[in-house]
Amino acid sequence: MSLSAVDRFLPAVFSGRRWALPPTLRYVFGRILGALLVLLIGAFIVFLTMKAAPGDPSLSALGEQAPPEAIAAFRLQHGLDQPVITQFASWLGQIAHGDFGNSLVVASGRPISNLILSRLPTTAFVGLYALTIAVLSSLVLGTVAAVWRGKMADMVATSIAVLGISMPDFFLAYMLILGLALGLGLFPSYGFVAPGDSLLGALHASFLPALAIAAPMAAVFARTLRAALLEVIRQPYVTTARSFGLSRAFTFLHFIFRNALIPYVTIVGLQVRYVLGGVVVIERIFGIPGIGSLMVDAAFGRDYPLVQACMVTFLAIVLLVNLLVDIACTGLDPRRSR
Amino acid sequence: MNSKFQIGAILRNRLALAGLAITVVVILAITLGAALMPHSEEDMDFVNLLMPPSLEHPFGTDAFGRDVLTRVLIGGRMSLMISLSAIALASVVGTMMGSLSAYHGGWTDAVLMRFSDLLFAFPSFVLALFLMVVLGFGTPNIILAIALVYLPIFARIARNMTMLIKEEPYVQAARLMGRRPLSIIVGEIIPNFSAPLLVQASIGVAFGIILEAGLSFIGLGVQPPTPSLGSIMADGREYFSRGPWVLTFSGLAISFALLGLNLLGDGIRDLTDPRLRERAAP
Repeated sequence: MSLSAVDRFLPAVFSGRRWALPPTLRYVFGRILGALLVLLIGAFIVFLTMKAAPGDPSLSALGEQAPPEAIAAFRLQHGLDQPVITQFASWLGQIAHGDFGNSLVVASGRPISNLILSRLPTTAFVGLYALTIAVLSSLVLGTVAAVWRGKMADMVATSIAVLGISMPDFFLAYMLILGLALGLGLFPSYGFVAPGDSLLGALHASFLPALAIAAPMAAVFARTLRAALLEVIRQPYVTTARSFGLSRAFTFLHFIFRNALIPYVTIVGLQVRYVLGGVVVIERIFGIPGIGSLMVDAAFGRDYPLVQACMVTFLAIVLLVNLLVDIACTGLDPRRSR
Repeated sequence: MNSKFQIGAILRNRLALAGLAITVVVILAITLGAALMPHSEEDMDFVNLLMPPSLEHPFGTDAFGRDVLTRVLIGGRMSLMISLSAIALASVVGTMMGSLSAYHGGWTDAVLMRFSDLLFAFPSFVLALFLMVVLGFGTPNIILAIALVYLPIFARIARNMTMLIKEEPYVQAARLMGRRPLSIIVGEIIPNFSAPLLVQASIGVAFGIILEAGLSFIGLGVQPPTPSLGSIMADGREYFSRGPWVLTFSGLAISFALLGLNLLGDGIRDLTDPRLRERAAP
């Protein structure tokens, strides 16, 4: 995990007598600080890398034929003539106030924070929708495969899982469009309905993109759950529980499933990076106005401030999810916080 | 030992074999296949524009009347070349980074691994996209971007394995004999975890192909007219409703190659990791 460096010294700082926080809280607090630190370093590296990029943002904003005076004025206006570290400091100061500056190319002059805020709910909706599909289907597939291991059901579930990993999500998206949208006409092949306008309409319109993002993930989740369940089933305490006369179902839910959920939740958290990656291409294919398509537009337009802001937003989402997963795992396995 | 486990082991072996067979077929097809085809990937046939699959054109033709199968074979060569180079780069640099980190510890470890963790914190496709913007479009840059995205995985494995191995008596003996750290790492430590590296490399090549295809698909990777699996699919997407076979068959070709690589990776892991083999037993 990315936060281990911070962990290594944080407990020492907070375990002094004056800081007698309960261990779980102290752990969560340390995690939050660590995430903020990684975000800060990440933002700095993104900023530095962006500065080293070829191409001049003033040229892409004003056009190749722009007169030198206009370029000089543009550079002065956007602070591009300052030293890099000063630029970073002022950029960071602006971000702290929720101001990412203005978009240069994609939506010329519009504040980036507006752009991102207006698109964040869309991406969050599609991402959560996909995650829900992936979790529900993988819980069924993984459990079926583990309970009937080596039987037909296991073979089928495992084969679906391997196929799911082997199909790029954007290819799957087009196969779904071909079969379910163009062929059967069940779902639209393009466009987005905001869940605020009509929740059912939104679920219907975004079903294909969500399914395309979900399928490869569901495959990974199901494989993880299967392996974890098989590992736990072999544990002595499961045999003990059964020998006490507890029912198969009770043992499964209380002793096997709960413990198998720890690696499962960890993988689900790790895969959120994958969801966000998938979102980029899938949003583009289905014309969904989210952060992913915003970033692609920014990449094509060389809209540097916008690309930077998108990167930092993505990093922040990943760190937030990692944090939530860590907290969830601590809930499942209290030993972790010690 | 009960029979269920043995059947499982053989089946899993068979899956590995299937993976190997598919991978060999794919490699043969993309190295030799194009030479056996009657068309060239640039041949345009304006009478047969966007023709559905037939005996002469098994994958159909595209909007310029070019044979899609030939383009897929040539494009597959490009995609595999990019992915292989990227994973080769990532595995060498990542493994050295991880091993050096673990072997030296202290500041080297902190700096190198924090860098790798940070790379790992970004969504892979988003990071690749960002790197393409920063580096500029072009094939060598795609290789570099994919390598940077996959680097942390090798670094992480190498670090964990080196941590386990570095206190072994034979490593200490090598140290006492006065061998340099680099020679000990390359000669004594890395060979001990070549199996997990191989597993990662085979899964990594599959991953690299997906990443390249994704980048080229949205237009930030291999640029037309050079065919790669992603750019052929991007092409097919333009006229998907009129000629779905272009995208469908190039996509199926990718999926087939990925299936082989994934099965192969899984198979090697099952065969070489005794812990997993044990786990499969009831």
